[in-house]
Amino acid sequence: MSAQQTERLVRMANQIALNFGEERDLTLAARRTGEHLQKFWTPAMREQLADYAAAGGEGLSPAVRELYSRS
Amino acid sequence: MLHYYEPQKDFGTPAAQSAEQVSLTVDGVTLEVPAGTSVMRAAALVGVKVPKLCATDALQPFGSCRVCLVEIAGRRGFPASCTTPVEEGMQVQTQTPALAKLRRGVMELYISDHPLDCLTCATNGDCELQDTAGEVGLRNVRYGFDGANHLAASKDSSNPYFTFDPAKCIVCSRCVRACEETQGTFALTIEGRGFDSVVSAGGVDFIDSECVSCGACVDACPTATLTENSIIEQGIPEHTVTTTCAYCGVGCGFRAELRGNTVVRMTPWKDGKANEGHACVKGRFAFGYATHPDRVTTPMIRDSTDQPWRQVDWDEAVSFAAARFRQIQEQHGRNSIGAISSSRCTNEEVYLVQKLVRAGFGNNNIDTCARVCHSPTGYGLKTTLGESAGTQTFASVEQADVIIVMGANPTEAHPVFGSRLKKRLRQGARLIVIDPRKIELVDAPHIQADYHLPVNPGANVAVLNAMAHVIVSENLHDEAFIAQRCEASAFEDWRAFISDVSNSPEALAAASGVDAAELRAAARLYATAATGAIYYGLGVTEHSQGSTAVMAIANLAMLTGNLGREGVGVNPLRGQNNVQGACDMGSFPHELPGYRHLSDVTTRADFEQAWQVELDPEPGLRIPNMFDAAVDGDFRGLYIQGEDVAQSDPNTQHVEAALAALDCLVVQDIFLNETAKFAHVFLPGASFLEKDGTFTNAERRISRVRKVMPPMSGKADWEATQAFAQALGCSMDYAHPSQIMDEIASLTPTFSGVSYALLDEQGSVQWPCNDSAATGTSTMHVDSFVRGEGYFALTEYVPTEERANRRFPLLLTTGRILSQYNVGAQTRRTDNSTWHAEDVLEIHAHDAQERGLKDGDWAGIQSRVGSTVLRTRISDRVKPGVVYTTFHHPVSGANVVTTDNSDWATNCPEYKVTAVQASKVTEPSAWQSRQREFDHRQRQFLQQATVND
Repeated sequence: MSAQQTERLVRMANQIALNFGEERDLTLAARRTGEHLQKFWTPAMREQLADYAAAGGEGLSPAVRELYSRS
Repeated sequence: MLHYYEPQKDFGTPAAQSAEQVSLTVDGVTLEVPAGTSVMRAAALVGVKVPKLCATDALQPFGSCRVCLVEIAGRRGFPASCTTPVEEGMQVQTQTPALAKLRRGVMELYISDHPLDCLTCATNGDCELQDTAGEVGLRNVRYGFDGANHLAASKDSSNPYFTFDPAKCIVCSRCVRACEETQGTFALTIEGRGFDSVVSAGGVDFIDSECVSCGACVDACPTATLTENSIIEQGIPEHTVTTTCAYCGVGCGFRAELRGNTVVRMTPWKDGKANEGHACVKGRFAFGYATHPDRVTTPMIRDSTDQPWRQVDWDEAVSFAAARFRQIQEQHGRNSIGAISSSRCTNEEVYLVQKLVRAGFGNNNIDTCARVCHSPTGYGLKTTLGESAGTQTFASVEQADVIIVMGANPTEAHPVFGSRLKKRLRQGARLIVIDPRKIELVDAPHIQADYHLPVNPGANVAVLNAMAHVIVSENLHDEAFIAQRCEASAFEDWRAFISDVSNSPEALAAASGVDAAELRAAARLYATAATGAIYYGLGVTEHSQGSTAVMAIANLAMLTGNLGREGVGVNPLRGQNNVQGACDMGSFPHELPGYRHLSDVTTRADFEQAWQVELDPEPGLRIPNMFDAAVDGDFRGLYIQGEDVAQSDPNTQHVEAALAALDCLVVQDIFLNETAKFAHVFLPGASFLEKDGTFTNAERRISRVRKVMPPMSGKADWEATQAFAQALGCSMDYAHPSQIMDEIASLTPTFSGVSYALLDEQGSVQWPCNDSAATGTSTMHVDSFVRGEGYFALTEYVPTEERANRRFPLLLTTGRILSQYNVGAQTRRTDNSTWHAEDVLEIHAHDAQERGLKDGDWAGIQSRVGSTVLRTRISDRVKPGVVYTTFHHPVSGANVVTTDNSDWATNCPEYKVTAVQASKVTEPSAWQSRQREFDHRQRQFLQQATVND
């Protein structure tokens, strides 16, 4: 997958976390973001984001970082 | 269900709604009818037809023609049966020598000013005046025909669909009343007095009047004064087939009226529960596309898109496609192919496409066009209420006291429901419109919205949160309902959230663009209504917070107890005819039919056993994911049934790049649409007139679609999908769509009671339809929510990333217009283009002046992703800072400008918010020039295919 697609996944994941209220409750937002990705994203998309997070995850929002720091 | 043609039964006056029964006799026959029933209707109920001209059961009685006179024992004179209500013990005589003489006398007067051209008249054999003359025994006209008359009055043929011939008018006012009572447009009137009285479209031709061409006047006319041009040209029908409209999500029932296999008229079905005998300009008149010369009716293949098409038979076409798809999977993996289905197709067809993908392709890369319209409704309502569907019937609005219309324009996009809504508003219901544009409902004849909240594009959630804040902070919420029906802890969390001052109207006014005092007043009005109903459309869903806004709407309804009964509810107005059905049928990549997630082991096992395959438990690609993966080279084969993504989806240039990158694109459609120009295989589709099946409308109503004429390509769409599946080695062997529905019912709990036999018996049913609701469910969530307790979701307002700035200072929002439908593939090929031949840019005079733009000027519109050029229309429907256009014409390139910014939960595109700049230009955009060249070349390839055959 391309860098452009990774960038898009990062943007989508950040958007999901923000709408799950990461500014109110980071832990809860991280959990809900994880559930959402599990429910609606393909394994390949999830894997790509996880790989990106593991490689430093520049640009990932705090809740998405939290999600991958736990798993 | 083919029937010899006869007019629909007319009881003369509408049914009375009363529990009290009244007994009377009519011509010696005793009967009981509800109090308030007219004598005319009571007679009709026992099979006695009282001659009539100005009466019809679609309209309130008028009492002007003086033909329907009767005698009533103990009463003096000869009362009109249409305006006389029944009374206990009443004894009515409809046929006496005195009545016969009176009726003949009245008919003599009518006929003395009517042309005697019955044998050459277009409605000969289908004319109430002719019938009535026969019924009263008219044999001569003592007055002669030389007196003053209207026989030389000239025809008005300005409307492309019907002709007004005033020489044949008897001034019964049925057309005027239909325009007022049924349609609510008030375009017609009676001008002049006495002998000079004439029907007038406001002193101008019909085409220049306020007439919206719904055809209600044509339907109501008892003579040949208002006649469909198709009837004038082809004669009256000889048989009928009852079916369902394939345009918007209202799902009107129609009688297709035919001569042989030629449709000569579409008449709204009086027993159709969605429309009750009304129609719009699209459903009634715009059916000619089905036999348009542009129809492609032979399968075609080609190795690459820079080659001409080669016409082949069905076997070769599906074998070619199947071989390509299998080759792609062998080289690039199981997940490298997928499909997109369409809400324009039947439930059975979209069910088959998702089955083909899951069972045949072996993955879950199936998505549907609801992705780009109402996917947030599915997510939002499932989360809060437990079911991905609207809660009411359309008729429920007749019980609503306060109505919120948000991000919807019913009089343009859902016109038959719009008329029903307007009728309720004329009866006194209060109206709140939340929309960036001043839609027609804000200020229409005899209708004035109590509040118009002109929300800034992208700020819906701010407005909804502010309304909830007012209701909670002023203790206007329904505590008993919430305590009994909703999850307590979630409500307490939500109350704390919404009560925060940051959600007050004052705090959010700058973002929302709505005056805080107006918003407070609107919130109070909704909260204090005995029955409050919310209707919403794509102006809610097509945003980066579309799902949040849907949840905020559900929160408002729960907060005020406006769920689970008549006159209330949360009502998504679906864009296309079968959006609800396509979603119900498991067309999303994460769920099986009936909205059950793939991870549900039990559900998956049911399907695995029925289909004899192992199903992938993981979600597949959504449409935008497919496009991204195609551009990256990971996704190589796509089957698209009935959807034109190259025109309808956002960021056209990205979509085109994705389509061009595919190794094999299979398009099934009735026309060589924009997407098909990128295809390698073209499978000719069937219009709704050419196949059997069902559609499910916005009120969950499943209605039969019945084959009216044979499929022009030889196959209905479900047969084409089945042939493709068989070529792929996927087991499908249905003989009729009823068998597909039987399979759906056997695997889907909310459909378990549905069958074609039940639909034929009931006319239509609303799901859930099962052992608990044998004939369907009109109102959802009556005693409890489908999810158990209602869930108040936190709905934080997150501004969209798509913001205006100095470079792109205007916000573009897109929408629909009455005469055109979606990408226009159907309506552009009808005379509906008379009213909307091109898409234009609506812009406020202030913004236009700043840019030197005048009405009719070419305006270049530039966004962050592309640019296009449209003609300018100065409009006060948009406020300064907001511009608007439609997307009905491919050359407009409206979606070249829209971005792939999307809803956070569902990836529904944010069509409603695009930051743009507009400027005066003199030539088309670069994309438009390229599109014109590409289109020309692909049309040549099509012509060469035809010639080479």
